[in-house]
Amino acid sequence: MIIGLCLGALQVGAGEALHLRVDKLIAAKAGKQPLAGTASDAEFLRRVYLDFTGRIPTAKVARKYFSDKSKTKSAKLIDQLFAGPLWAETMAERFHVMLMERRGEDEEWRKWLANSFAKNKPWDVMVREMVAPDFLNEAKRGAGFFLTKRLEKYGQNPTDYPGLTRDVGRMFMGVDLQCAQCHRHLTVKDYKQVDFQGLYSALSNVRLQRTNETIRVAWASEGLLKRKMEFGSVFSETKKATGPRVPFGEEIAIPVFEKGKEWVVKADRKKKITGVPAFSPLREIALRIVMPDNPFFARNIANRAWFLMMGRGLVEPLDLAHSKNPPSHPELLNLLAQELVAHKLDLKWLFHELALTQTYQRNSVLPKGGDAPRHLFVAAKERPIAAEALLLSMLLATGEKERVAKLEEEDEHSLKNFEDLFQSTFANAPREPELAVNATLKAALFLRNNESLLWLVKPREGNLVDRLAKLKEPEKIADEVFMNVLSRTPSASERAMVKSYLKKQSNRDRALGDLVWALLSSTEFYVNH
Amino acid sequence: MEKFSLCGDLCLCALCVKKMNHPLCNATEHALSRRQWLGGMGGAAAAGALGGLISPASGEVLKKKEKQVLFIWLDGGMSQLESWDPKPNTQFGGPFRSIPTNLPGVHVSELMPRMAKKMDKICLVRGICTKDNSHSRGVGRIQRGDPKNRGVIYPYIGSAIAKLMGPTASGLPPYVWVKPGSGGFKPTDAGFLGPKYGALAFGDGQPPPNFIRPKSLSVEQDAARNELRRALNLNYAKPRRKANTEANSFVFDSADALLARSDIFDTTKYPRKEKERYGEHLLGEHMLIGRKLLEAGCRFVKVNSYGWDTHGDNFNGSTSLVGRFDQALAAVLEDLEATGRLDHTLVIAMSEFGRTPRINGHAGRDHWPEAWSIAMTGCGLNRGVVLGETNAKGTFVKGDAWDIGHLFHTWFHALGINSHDIEFDNGGQPLPIAHDDMGVIPGAIA
Repeated sequence: MIIGLCLGALQVGAGEALHLRVDKLIAAKAGKQPLAGTASDAEFLRRVYLDFTGRIPTAKVARKYFSDKSKTKSAKLIDQLFAGPLWAETMAERFHVMLMERRGEDEEWRKWLANSFAKNKPWDVMVREMVAPDFLNEAKRGAGFFLTKRLEKYGQNPTDYPGLTRDVGRMFMGVDLQCAQCHRHLTVKDYKQVDFQGLYSALSNVRLQRTNETIRVAWASEGLLKRKMEFGSVFSETKKATGPRVPFGEEIAIPVFEKGKEWVVKADRKKKITGVPAFSPLREIALRIVMPDNPFFARNIANRAWFLMMGRGLVEPLDLAHSKNPPSHPELLNLLAQELVAHKLDLKWLFHELALTQTYQRNSVLPKGGDAPRHLFVAAKERPIAAEALLLSMLLATGEKERVAKLEEEDEHSLKNFEDLFQSTFANAPREPELAVNATLKAALFLRNNESLLWLVKPREGNLVDRLAKLKEPEKIADEVFMNVLSRTPSASERAMVKSYLKKQSNRDRALGDLVWALLSSTEFYVNH
Repeated sequence: MEKFSLCGDLCLCALCVKKMNHPLCNATEHALSRRQWLGGMGGAAAAGALGGLISPASGEVLKKKEKQVLFIWLDGGMSQLESWDPKPNTQFGGPFRSIPTNLPGVHVSELMPRMAKKMDKICLVRGICTKDNSHSRGVGRIQRGDPKNRGVIYPYIGSAIAKLMGPTASGLPPYVWVKPGSGGFKPTDAGFLGPKYGALAFGDGQPPPNFIRPKSLSVEQDAARNELRRALNLNYAKPRRKANTEANSFVFDSADALLARSDIFDTTKYPRKEKERYGEHLLGEHMLIGRKLLEAGCRFVKVNSYGWDTHGDNFNGSTSLVGRFDQALAAVLEDLEATGRLDHTLVIAMSEFGRTPRINGHAGRDHWPEAWSIAMTGCGLNRGVVLGETNAKGTFVKGDAWDIGHLFHTWFHALGINSHDIEFDNGGQPLPIAHDDMGVIPGAIA
């Protein structure tokens, strides 16, 4: 035993599992700030279910977990969820929201995301498939939605190439170069105009193409890039030029071809053949973004993974990495990025390690010593629940999931109609990242008065309100409703509250519906804590 | 507020000149996140009121006369020659006479008999000269105050006020918009401030979706279930960070505050006399709803009238349009004054531009940003003054001319916001709230 401990203590460093090293670095930075304890079984269970299955646990799952007395049950549960069928689907959902920022849906894209996570495709491969999509490959072309959706015109605006350039920088390198389009960035010294323009030269060479007989999705083609992109700062007269270039990297030389050799497939308007140039700047850019010598690449995804798990990035904002905006824990971000590269950009491994950290498993109840600055991660941060997960959770909680799924699409209470309602109520507007819990007047009015939402809390055979109505004692009712909606047992005072509420109300069915409604409308339900 | 790490050595721009002490920003993350929450309504509240919690201070806030704005937008462009700046018996004067007002020496068009008796209450700017003569750009450009191009989309004035001043103690959404046509949550007005500072639009004067309590739900039942929700929330909230629960309470209470005033949206119950006084037409009805929203405590109320683009038949068009405007404006000013609200309510009536002196082949007037008028009053503005003038034919401004940037500075100052010192913080990028080369119009502020 003693020997074991000694050995354990010696194992600091390379051999030690990543999650242990993470916790040490977090504890070291927190210093004397007290850390919150481990989350209760209930809080932990709800958190991992929301994070890795995209919904709350059912009452049955919760009861089983609470009755398990094994000390390793949390790690076992994590393993089980990571091996489960919902893991890839949930990751796909979360990455969809992060990468597309509510621009719209696409079946092939969702399929590609889900398949990529199911196969545990390395992140560098995924990024290459998104930045330089192969539209002829049916298994991969879904990835192209990242580009093609951004090439669509919205409103009366021209194709937003600067926006696409900005997003490639933001999503894959954690740098928002927007303000360096027309001059050097005024507040970030590291971001030069050439960093924007180099990426822009490759991306503005892309054209959106309609579906045709061979490619049955919207797709994009590249033009012949013969010249460097010329640009000048609006503040000076000097003109500069750059070829395609990954931000902060080296310029890619534009090759000169013998006449006739510049095209692999020559464009022919009459025959409606879209040309394929021999030199593909997109492919070159994609290759170089993911190279190990681009430190921004691994650090960005490590930071984004951390954000998805902890509710706050090590670098904040997520897309403003530069030397004057260092991470809250520089050593930690280095470690995550290095280890991720050592593990061949295996995101499943990284998320699994992060799930095992104490930092992730901490309570959202503040420690005794009170709160500390957010970047110290002394307590779990409340995180937003995306519209889709909120809907699934409400359907599960109210016991209406199966009924709703069986209804025809035209039915007022079909899954499709609920999805539309929840998206329009709880999702952000297009191009608006969903980063924090967001309470809105729109949502409050929806929860209070929407007929479809209130339909969920009317008694119907087998649903939660119906089951509650069959229980006699108010204590049992309290237990059942808390377990189904909040995935926990009520406290004594909460039981008393339920009891006195039911006593006061004359219409029992209505009172039970309102009880369920009050829990569904609570902050506790609305956030991932 | 975080310190800006501004260029310093490479200072190329006016961005860097300004100081960074932002009186409206709060240093702690708690406040910031609460601000985010409170603001996060898609149509929108910022920091200010604490929903659900009646703190000892809030009674005082209520008593304190909070500054508000009534912004009347005449979309399409009102003809200054048929309203505030008539030039009868001149080349471009048109058929209407001018009439004397209760301000000696000042005449307005005969289409405005009611306002003619109220010119001592108005701060009229006749020397307006702006830049854009197309609707598609002008409407946005003018309502954004046409700041210098910094590569971002500026907020409309209503969103800017929602951001800078937040909701009043009423807890009602700070930026509401009464308009014909579609309603709902309109995020785009907010520009770079983000959708939470957008407008809550009452299309055709009607409330937003899910506003009406379902018939099956009684007032008592609704109150009881909300009481239960609040009580259950407390257990969760107590040992945790406050921001999210407070914000959640705020939006629910804001919904309550709005629901409590659902009477505003039922114009059939308005007293007949009041309706007649404002005029039984859309603008009159919407102005009346607007006044009630101000009384209820909305910070910024925009009342919108469409159809002012009189390229054809300008004179018949103006007769009906200006007549309705005259009636509705006079009525709302009368009421705001009678209740003492005018002293803390800034009233602005304007379009995206004026109309050409030249009368076209269709007896119409076209777009004319070169010389036009804007009327404003209340909230510390001088009343009974006319600032600037146009030449004898009304074609151009004579002497000092003012652009929309000057007006933004003037309005901000009237609201107690020093627009030379206070800036927006766009993720670290400091942005002036009004055109940085312009300032307050001399003589506008008392």
